[in-house]
Amino acid sequence: MNNMEEKLWNYIDGTCNAEERDAIALLIAQDEIWRNSYQEMLTFNNEITAITPDEPSMAFSYKVMEGIRAHEAIKPLKTTINTYIISGIAVFFVLSILGIVLFGFTGATQTISNGNTVTNIHLPDLSVFTNSTVMNVFLYVDVMLLLFFADVWLRKGRNNTKIKSVQN
Amino acid sequence: MQSKLTDIELIQRTLKGDQQAYALLVKTHQRYVFTLAQRFTKNREDAEEVAQDSFIKAYKALSSFKQESKFSTWLYTIVYTTAMTSLRKRNTASIALDDENNFTQIANATSTWDVNIAEGRSRSFYLSRAIEQLPPDDATVLTLFYHAEQSLEEIAQVMGIETNGVKVKLFRARKRLKEKLEENLKHEAKELI
Repeated sequence: MNNMEEKLWNYIDGTCNAEERDAIALLIAQDEIWRNSYQEMLTFNNEITAITPDEPSMAFSYKVMEGIRAHEAIKPLKTTINTYIISGIAVFFVLSILGIVLFGFTGATQTISNGNTVTNIHLPDLSVFTNSTVMNVFLYVDVMLLLFFADVWLRKGRNNTKIKSVQN
Repeated sequence: MQSKLTDIELIQRTLKGDQQAYALLVKTHQRYVFTLAQRFTKNREDAEEVAQDSFIKAYKALSSFKQESKFSTWLYTIVYTTAMTSLRKRNTASIALDDENNFTQIANATSTWDVNIAEGRSRSFYLSRAIEQLPPDDATVLTLFYHAEQSLEEIAQVMGIETNGVKVKLFRARKRLKEKLEENLKHEAKELI
């Protein structure tokens, strides 16, 4: 690099330290070659700064947002599912299993026969939940829920089609 | 009247799902992003494509923006990488500075000029044209430094090089720009005679 040019550019850009800045300022003030070069470089610098950046087409930002909307639409299902729901289901099952195990062990009795310890776990009597009336009520509620959610889903689909046709 | 929102506020709104906020961010930065892309692609259509890709990439990665630097610096890093990839794909990196086609283009353009029109052209027009003819790295350094208001450290971050390397590149880019400008102006003068 040309030493004078390099120093002058550092001076113009403000990248030199205070000591160098003062030394260059003195050279510009006293030396005609330095002064002329400095003026020429400063003019060139101002000319570059004055160039205005180009504008993209009018539809540019619209196209970008369209691209983003398309990206959102094709987002994989796993990223749209709330992870808290999955964690909640997992916690529910783990707690249920733990609850059953604890319930079983708290009601357990130990007997000793012939020197061996035998643990008897008494599970709750579930036959009350599996009689025909309870099962019928359970299935009835399931069918009602299924019909309700199917209705919601179908209404949603129909509304979306209407909105699209209005927008078009 | 609502005061102008900062980049950070717009980013926070975008992350909460407000796409209009991102549209405002695009509008704020589109000129510089487009100009930067143009330094690589050398034509408007490809530059728009690179700029669009960059904004979409930035949107996808917005949650990873740590605010350790300016949003513009982070965005220009994406533009630089996207433009480099696009350039490699198109295999146009080998376009030489003294490519005869570049000069043919200029000659064709000037041949249709009226002398008065030529006189009316500002020096900034010739400077813009000279920048377009520089190698992508030189043009990028100049654009980032002079127009995108990036410091030497920020340019180093965008280009993935040392700050001293940027200083050297900037010095050489100015020198080449001056040479190119003088060369073009000489060429124009000959055409007019």
